[in-house]
Amino acid sequence: MKLLVLSLLLLVTAPLTAQTPIHGTVVDAQGNPIPGANVVLRGTYDGASTDGQGAFAFRTDAKGSYVLQVSAVGYEPMEESLTLSGLEVKVSISLAEAVTELNTVVITAGSFTAGDEDRRTTFKSVDIASTAGATADIAGALNTLPGTQKVGETGRLFVRGGDDNETRTFIDGMVVLDAYSPSAPNTPSRGRFLPFMFKGTSFSTGGYSAEYGQALSSALALDSKDEDETTRTDVGLLSVGADVAHTQAWVNGSAAAKVQYTNLRPYMGLINQHVDWITPPLSTEVSGAVRQRFGDKGLLKFYGNANEANFSLYEHAIADPASRLPLEVTNRYRYGNLSYQAVLPRDWSVRAGVSYNTSAYDNTLATLSQRERGAALHVKAVFEKSTSSVAVRTGGELIDRDYRSAWTDEQQGTLTQSFREPITAAFGETDITFSKNFVARAGVRGEYNGLTHNAALDPRLSLARKLGQGQLSLAYGRFRQSPQTQWLRANNQLHAEKAEHWMLSYQLITNRRTFRAEVYHKRYDDLVRFAAPGTLPPAFAPVNVAMDNSGSGYARGGELFWRDNQTFRNVDYWVSYSYLDTRREYLYYPTAAVPSFASAHNFSVVYKHFVPALKTQFGVTWSFASARPYHDPNRPGFMQGSTPNYSDLSANVSYLPTSWMIVHLSCTNVLGYDNIFGYTYAMTPDAQGVYAGRAIRQPATRFLFLGIFITLSKNKGINQLPSL
Amino acid sequence: MKTKATILLLLMALTVRAGDDAFLQAMGKQIGAVYTAQTVDELQGVVNAFDRIGQAEQGRWEPLYYGAFGYLMMATREKEGQKKDGYLDQALERVNRGLGISKDNSELLALEGFVHMLRVSVDPASRGQRFSAMSMKAFNKAIKADPNNPRALSLMAQMQYGTAQFFGSSTTESCSMAQRALALFGNGTTEDPLAPRWGKEMTESMVKRCNP
Repeated sequence: MKLLVLSLLLLVTAPLTAQTPIHGTVVDAQGNPIPGANVVLRGTYDGASTDGQGAFAFRTDAKGSYVLQVSAVGYEPMEESLTLSGLEVKVSISLAEAVTELNTVVITAGSFTAGDEDRRTTFKSVDIASTAGATADIAGALNTLPGTQKVGETGRLFVRGGDDNETRTFIDGMVVLDAYSPSAPNTPSRGRFLPFMFKGTSFSTGGYSAEYGQALSSALALDSKDEDETTRTDVGLLSVGADVAHTQAWVNGSAAAKVQYTNLRPYMGLINQHVDWITPPLSTEVSGAVRQRFGDKGLLKFYGNANEANFSLYEHAIADPASRLPLEVTNRYRYGNLSYQAVLPRDWSVRAGVSYNTSAYDNTLATLSQRERGAALHVKAVFEKSTSSVAVRTGGELIDRDYRSAWTDEQQGTLTQSFREPITAAFGETDITFSKNFVARAGVRGEYNGLTHNAALDPRLSLARKLGQGQLSLAYGRFRQSPQTQWLRANNQLHAEKAEHWMLSYQLITNRRTFRAEVYHKRYDDLVRFAAPGTLPPAFAPVNVAMDNSGSGYARGGELFWRDNQTFRNVDYWVSYSYLDTRREYLYYPTAAVPSFASAHNFSVVYKHFVPALKTQFGVTWSFASARPYHDPNRPGFMQGSTPNYSDLSANVSYLPTSWMIVHLSCTNVLGYDNIFGYTYAMTPDAQGVYAGRAIRQPATRFLFLGIFITLSKNKGINQLPSL
Repeated sequence: MKTKATILLLLMALTVRAGDDAFLQAMGKQIGAVYTAQTVDELQGVVNAFDRIGQAEQGRWEPLYYGAFGYLMMATREKEGQKKDGYLDQALERVNRGLGISKDNSELLALEGFVHMLRVSVDPASRGQRFSAMSMKAFNKAIKADPNNPRALSLMAQMQYGTAQFFGSSTTESCSMAQRALALFGNGTTEDPLAPRWGKEMTESMVKRCNP
C-alpha cells in the first residue's frame, strides 16, 4: 500500500525533473518571418509567441506524443505531431495565408456596392441620402457615379448608352415593375423606393451575375434591412408634405410602418413653373416592413407599399401654343415582397421569395383615354453553398407579367392591346477562388419565354486578379430583356432584345480612398425596329406600325472614379468622369445614329464637408454633361441637332440642433442655368413647310426643399441623419 | 481495496486542485501583463498566452475575456481602419465564444458593447447610428445582468456623454452614472482573482471632465 502511494506520488512529481526544449521558426509561403504567431502544445499551457524574426523557444514538462499548434491572424492554422522525451526539438513551420473575405480579390467590374456591413464598399447608404442634388432619391445619387448619363428631363438611370428601361430594380432579389413614380411629360420622376428602407444597394453597370435576368444594361439590387435595432418614431415635416414612421423592435424582429403625404400644390403655387398645371402632383403612400428571425439563421422579411398619385395639366400643341389640351394622370401602385432565408445542412443556404406587383394608370388627354393595368408575379428560389475556395449558386424563377391597355377615343371607339408573358428561368453560377489573388466566376442563365415560345441560354464570366495593391477585373456576359411595354403590347411577336458586355476594370482601394478606371464595349442585337423608318410616334397614343427585331447598335467608353475621405479632415468628395461613344439603328431611326439620350462626356463632383462647431454638414454637387443630339426635321439629315452642354450646381445643408432633430435645406441648380434637354417638333409642317419646334426645359430653374425631421426614441443618440 | 480507492480519489482531487492552481497562477501572471503592456507587440504576446491557456481550459470564459480585452487595447492603439477592424473582429469572436460558455455574463456583454463603440470610430459618418445603437444595446444588457458592474456603467456613461456633448444637451444623467460607476470601483475589493479590475482611471478622468 505504501509503495502504491509512493509510486503514484512519484508519477505526479516526476515530470518536473527533465524539461524538453522546443524551438523553431514560423514563416509564410514566401519564407518571410511571421511575428506574433502563437505556438502551443495542445492540451497544455506551454508555448510561446514568435519574435520579429519569426523565431520561438520554450520548454515543456510534457512527455510523449503531443501536437504542436501554430496560429497567426490572417493565416491558416497548422498542426505538427511531436514526440517529447527531454531531447531538444527543432521545428520549422510554414503557414499558408488564409483566404478570407477581407483579403481576397472580389469581382468588381461594373459594380458599385453600398452597404453598411461590408467594409470594402466604396459607397454607403448614407452617401445616397446626403448627396446634394439627389434630394434623397436613389437614382439621383447614383447619377453621380461613372457609367451613368445625365438625362435631366427624366430623373432616371441611363447606363452606358442604354435607355432608362434597360436598368431594372430588384428588391431582395425580386424584380420591381414600374420603379419610378408618375411624372408629367419631360419632368423628372423619382424612384418609388426611398434609400433608408435599405441596408445595402448594389448598382451594377454591366457584367452582373446570372441571377439577374430581364435587364439589358444595368441591375440595381436593393437589400431591405434585416433588423432594426430600436423602437422609434420618426416625423418629417417637409415643404412638399409630411411623413410619419414608426418602428417597433422586439427580441428577434421588428416591424416598421410609414405614411407619407406629398403635395406639390402649395410649392408650385409659390414658384413659377414651365408646366401649366391644373392640379400639381399629389401622392399618398403607405409602406410597411416586418422582419422576424427564426433560430440562429432563419430570417423572414416582408416589404410592401401602396401608393396613390395623380396630377393634371394643360398640354399646348407645338404648332398652336395657345391651345390647351387637358392631360390627367392617376396611378395606383401596389408592391409586396415576402422573402425567406435559412441555412441548410452541409454548408448550403437557401433564399426564396415571392413578390406581387400591380400598377394601374388611368390617363386622359383631351378626347383620348387610356386604361392601363399591369401585374407581375415573381417566384424565385436560390440555393447557395460556399466553402473557402468554391462557391456554388443555383436557382430558378418564374416572372409572370399580365398587361392590358384599353384606348378609348370618342370618335374611334376602343382599342385593346394586351399580353401575358410568363418567363421561366434557371441559372447556375460558381465562384472559384484559386488563391487570394485570383478569383473566377462562371455562370449560365437559361430562359423560356411563354409568350414568344423562345428559349435562350446566356453565359456570364468574370475574373478578378490582384495587381500590386489594386486589382484587375474582367467581365463578359450576354443579357436579354423583353421589349418595352409600349412596343410589346402593339406586337406580341417581338422577342427579347439582346446585349453583350465586355469590360476591363482596375480598382485600388486604400484606407479611405478609392480609385477606379474601367473600359467597356457593349453590342446590341435584336433591338425593336419599325418596318418603315420615319418619325417618332406621339408619346400618348397606341402605336400601330409594323415592327420586328432587326435593330442593332453598340456602346463603348471609358470611366474614371476617385473618392477620398482621408486627405481633408471632415471632408468627403468624389469625382466621376464617363466617356461614351454609342450608335443605334432601332425604332424609327432611318440610319445608325447617336440616340437623343446619349451625351459623350459626363462629369460629376460631389463634395461634403462636416463642420462640428456648427453641427452642420454642407454639400455641393456639380454635374456636367456634354451636348445631346436631337432630330430637327427642318434640316437635312437625321439627329443632326445638338443641345447646349448641361450643367448643374446643387447645394444642401443639414443642421443638427439636438440629437433628435435635423433641419435639411437643399437647392438644385443654384446658379440658375437654363438647361435645354432637346427639342420637340410638330408632327406636321405649317403652311410655309416649317415644322414648329419647342425646347425641352427644366420645369423650374431651381427646386428648393426644406424639411424638419424629428426622431422620438428612448435611445437619445439616434436621429434620421442616415436617411437624409 | 476501499482504502486504495479513497487514496486514489484523494490524489485525483489533489491533482485537480493543482490544475486549478496552475490555471490561477498562469492567468494571474497574464492578467498583470495585459494591464501593463504598452505596445501592440507586447499585447499580441499576452493575447497569445491567453489563447494558449484557453485551448487547454475549454470550459473557462476568462481566457477568452482577457484575450478579447487585449485585442481591444490593440485596436485603441491602431490608426488604420482596416487593421483596427481586424483586431475588433478578433475581440468580438472571443466575446461571442465566451458568451457561449457563460451566457448573459455582464463583463463579456460590456466588452461586446466596447467593441461596437470602437467600430464607430473607424467611420463615424456611416457607422455612427448602427454601431452606437448596437453598443447601447449591449451595455443595457450588461447592466441588466449586473446593475453594479462599474465597467458597463462607465462605458454607457461615456457613450451618453459624447452624444450629449455633441448636441450641446445636458450631461447630468451621464455624469451621475459615471459617479455611480466610480463609487462601485471604490468598494470593488472582490475575492475573485480573475475578476476584471480595469476601468477606474477611465472613469475618474470622465468624472473630472464632468466637474472641472
